[in-house]
Amino acid sequence: MFKRMARKVASRVKDEDTTIRPTSQVDFLKDFLSKHNYVFSQDFEENLEILKKKHLVDDFVVTNFDGSVVASSNGNGQSDGIMGTAMFSYIKSEIPDSEAVLIKREDGWFMLFALNKKVFIVRAGSDLSGIELKALALELSILMEENKETKMEKRVAR
Amino acid sequence: MTRVIVIASGKGGTGKTTITANMGIALAKAGKKVLLVDADVAMANLSLILGMQSSPITLHDVLLGESQVHDAIYDGPNGLHFIPSGLSLDNYKRVDSERLSGIIATIADQYDFILMDAAAGIEKNVLSALSAAQETLLVTMPTSPAIADALKTKIVAQRLGSKVIGVIINFVMGEKGEISKSECSSILELPVYGSVPYDPEVRKSFMQQKVLPVIARKPDSIAAKEMQKIASRLIGVQVSNSDDHKDKKGFFSKFTSIFRRNKK
Repeated sequence: MFKRMARKVASRVKDEDTTIRPTSQVDFLKDFLSKHNYVFSQDFEENLEILKKKHLVDDFVVTNFDGSVVASSNGNGQSDGIMGTAMFSYIKSEIPDSEAVLIKREDGWFMLFALNKKVFIVRAGSDLSGIELKALALELSILMEENKETKMEKRVAR
Repeated sequence: MTRVIVIASGKGGTGKTTITANMGIALAKAGKKVLLVDADVAMANLSLILGMQSSPITLHDVLLGESQVHDAIYDGPNGLHFIPSGLSLDNYKRVDSERLSGIIATIADQYDFILMDAAAGIEKNVLSALSAAQETLLVTMPTSPAIADALKTKIVAQRLGSKVIGVIINFVMGEKGEISKSECSSILELPVYGSVPYDPEVRKSFMQQKVLPVIARKPDSIAAKEMQKIASRLIGVQVSNSDDHKDKKGFFSKFTSIFRRNKK
């Protein structure tokens, strides 16, 4: 009994380390980044899908100011494109210094944003900040530019 | 060329603000032109750590468009410059943190380093800080919840186009259950810039008549030395990787230290 008590006192004084490495949590964390690894492929449509996941949005449509669709993550953004561009152009004409338009609908948020002479119409579950919209628009612009270059190269190769 | 670096972590209480303040002083001591920005607009306390809490014009006023950024820059310890955020809650809801990026861009060319102390979490204020910086330096602790939050912050920073350059592991005590430096590096897929030991001197620095970061108050303390090394790495100076803070005391030294403490 004395021995046990002495060991306890010694352990207290020595501040013994009783911690253990949480193996299962470490294993879980090791796998975490692989689930958020966004590697773009050669396929433009596939890349739009990847971008959608990366930026946590439901859908997006990119249009010219005349409403013609440049890119769409659901493959069919014609009606959203026309409506979104018309809405953005109207707001912009009424409030010239407006940067983005946010519309709350039953099925989520619609965010309209212009960059590099294109209108970006983004649908998401919750509203995105201007920063997030800009980040998505910038990455989309790069992707569209690369896609244009690839198409040009293919045309030249032919 | 100016390096704009945001110090972020996701989790609160990892020591972001303390590390920002100390690294800023270390970089200034090394002759660099340094600006510290308290980008935690809601829970600002970098000014308290620097002992500069009574600044009349703050980042809040600049973000509100009511003051010019140059009017919110103050002289801090060791020649560094500092933009505080307002400590009062009056204005913070009105503040548009999305303007931060533009504000930083107007003064960036005057400095070698701009270090921004981000808030915890991944809310709008944090996103603003992350997108205003080209580089992100994560601060974590050697525990799974802190690393999980650092992982999320890394993903968000990358999404916003900020390059995550590395991670600092803070409050290292050398316990068996801690996630090791190499494991942190492999989980986060980032180089470890430094591993700052738990040091009571850091805490004691806040409990003085004149509050000063530990690197200025006790430059020989183990945490200060490690933060000095991290700053050197940021500048690009080669430093040894010796883990000199692993000074585990033996039974007798701990036993005798109890009596020494009691004598005081």
